[in-house]
Amino acid sequence: MKAAFRNAYCFTLSRYSINPNPTILHLVPAISTFPSLPSSVFKNPPFRSPVTATLCSTSMASGDSDAPQTSPSLEKQFEKFRVQLEDSGSLRERIRAVVLEIESATRLMQASLLLVHQSKPIPEVLEKAKTQINVLKDLFNKLAEVVRECPGQYYRYHGDWRTETQMVVSLLAFMHWLETGTLLMHTEAEEKLGLNDSDFGLDVEDYLVGICFMSNEMPRYVVNQVTAGDYDCPRKVLKFLTDLHAAFRMLNLRNDFLRKKFDTMKYDLRRVEEVYYDVKIRGLATSGDSVEDQGTQGQP
Amino acid sequence: MLNSSAALFRRISVSWLMAPKFKPRRLPPAADPALPLQRSTKLARTMSTHSSIKDAFSTYADYLNALNEKRERVVKASRDVTMNSKKVIFQVHRISKNNREEVLEKADKDLAAVRDLHIFRLVKELQGTDFWKLRRAYSPGVQEYVEAATFFKFCQTGNLLNLDEINASLLPLSDPSLEPLQINLLDYLLGLADLTGELMRLAIGRISDGEVEFAERICRFVRDIYRELTLVVPLMDDSSDMETKMVTMLQSVVKIENACFSVRVRGSEYIPLLGTGDPSSFLLGVSEVEL
Repeated sequence: MKAAFRNAYCFTLSRYSINPNPTILHLVPAISTFPSLPSSVFKNPPFRSPVTATLCSTSMASGDSDAPQTSPSLEKQFEKFRVQLEDSGSLRERIRAVVLEIESATRLMQASLLLVHQSKPIPEVLEKAKTQINVLKDLFNKLAEVVRECPGQYYRYHGDWRTETQMVVSLLAFMHWLETGTLLMHTEAEEKLGLNDSDFGLDVEDYLVGICFMSNEMPRYVVNQVTAGDYDCPRKVLKFLTDLHAAFRMLNLRNDFLRKKFDTMKYDLRRVEEVYYDVKIRGLATSGDSVEDQGTQGQP
Repeated sequence: MLNSSAALFRRISVSWLMAPKFKPRRLPPAADPALPLQRSTKLARTMSTHSSIKDAFSTYADYLNALNEKRERVVKASRDVTMNSKKVIFQVHRISKNNREEVLEKADKDLAAVRDLHIFRLVKELQGTDFWKLRRAYSPGVQEYVEAATFFKFCQTGNLLNLDEINASLLPLSDPSLEPLQINLLDYLLGLADLTGELMRLAIGRISDGEVEFAERICRFVRDIYRELTLVVPLMDDSSDMETKMVTMLQSVVKIENACFSVRVRGSEYIPLLGTGDPSSFLLGVSEVEL
């Protein structure tokens, strides 16, 4: 029973968000006055009942001639609503289940990455963290599949995976930077998570917030690197963060969450500048220019 | 499962190694002439990461600008929808036994105008995923429109305008090649909650004018809506604002019920206008007095 019901439901649900079937339109003649719609106009899906039968106008002045019970069309409509909402509720539960798994994979990745602050060699740390990327890729694809059941409603449920996605992006970007010294681009991030499909992509604002979270890690990383004896790190990080901040300044932001996160970036930049200054004036940094030729790869 | 993910991992790691952007020895933006220049854009991006960040961010900037401008247009359209729907509601409130036809006719025209002028703007802006992405921008307007449309429909026919009907009326606004804007279930239900408030005002007002049957009909209608909604509201996405509306709705229902009760109990004492045709009134036959 559920299968047939679900088909009908999805057909109608899709009517509420997008109409993939444009043929419905030429069944509807130009409707200038509403609500007089003869029921024959509609191509009735299974449970779009003859609600329009009740459109016959009952004169208000004629007094209490109507039966006191709820009009059947009212009940039918709300029953339909209840079913739809239950379905969307169960979809949301499935989404949340996948998101919980994403969260746990993210935690594992984050825990391995934290080792860079303890000066574990980068390739080793990255190796461990990278194993989670596949897990995440699979999970995001699973999520995409679930959401694909109701096309066009990515943003209806987007809030349920927004924060987790932002965290994932920040970790991926941090890993990318540790490996290459450059910024992970939006398209690259999408690729890593296997989200190049158009219907379930990586939201640009999520990506940008993730990048801001990544920049929040920089001051701590730099401080610990210097403590461990890497005096070249501040220069590299400073350059990177300056470029990043400059790039972000190109954006026109509203006063929303993204803006707040971007605002924290300048404090990160300041702290890195201070570390760089501390290292430089004490002559601890090796001369800046000669290092550049050796490439920007991190620790051996 | 494990095999496939291991294979996937190998495939990914190989592609990483092959992608130029992951070349281990990479130079900073100052181009090293010794590095062989290839014509691939990926390598060009690697060579000048600095400008590639700028390029990428200028695309992000364009995206955000377009999104924010669209959002602004949607908000403006939504405000106009709200304002004009409210006018329709006030128009319908002017209804009484005597002027029913003209009031409803004007309301019908005004409602059509809201639809054709302002909702039309929403239709133009919102496509595909924008329906949900920008929902916070247009939801208040759509709710108000639903409120106005259902209010009008009730006064005209005594029935609830269904979501399907209201969406059908919006179909002509859309270009057949585009996805039609369809009011979603949530906005419809939120609008319905506001409708009950207006119906409460209408009922109280009609009682003062002596139209007790109309008020009682409103009472039954609102009770039905409230009852149906109790089953559906807890299932809604972010049901918290709807839950508060339900509290208000129950208060409205109770107000109407109390007003109807007062009329019944104090029927003979109740003097809407001196001189009434109500057979139960002791003022039957008394001539009307100018107030």
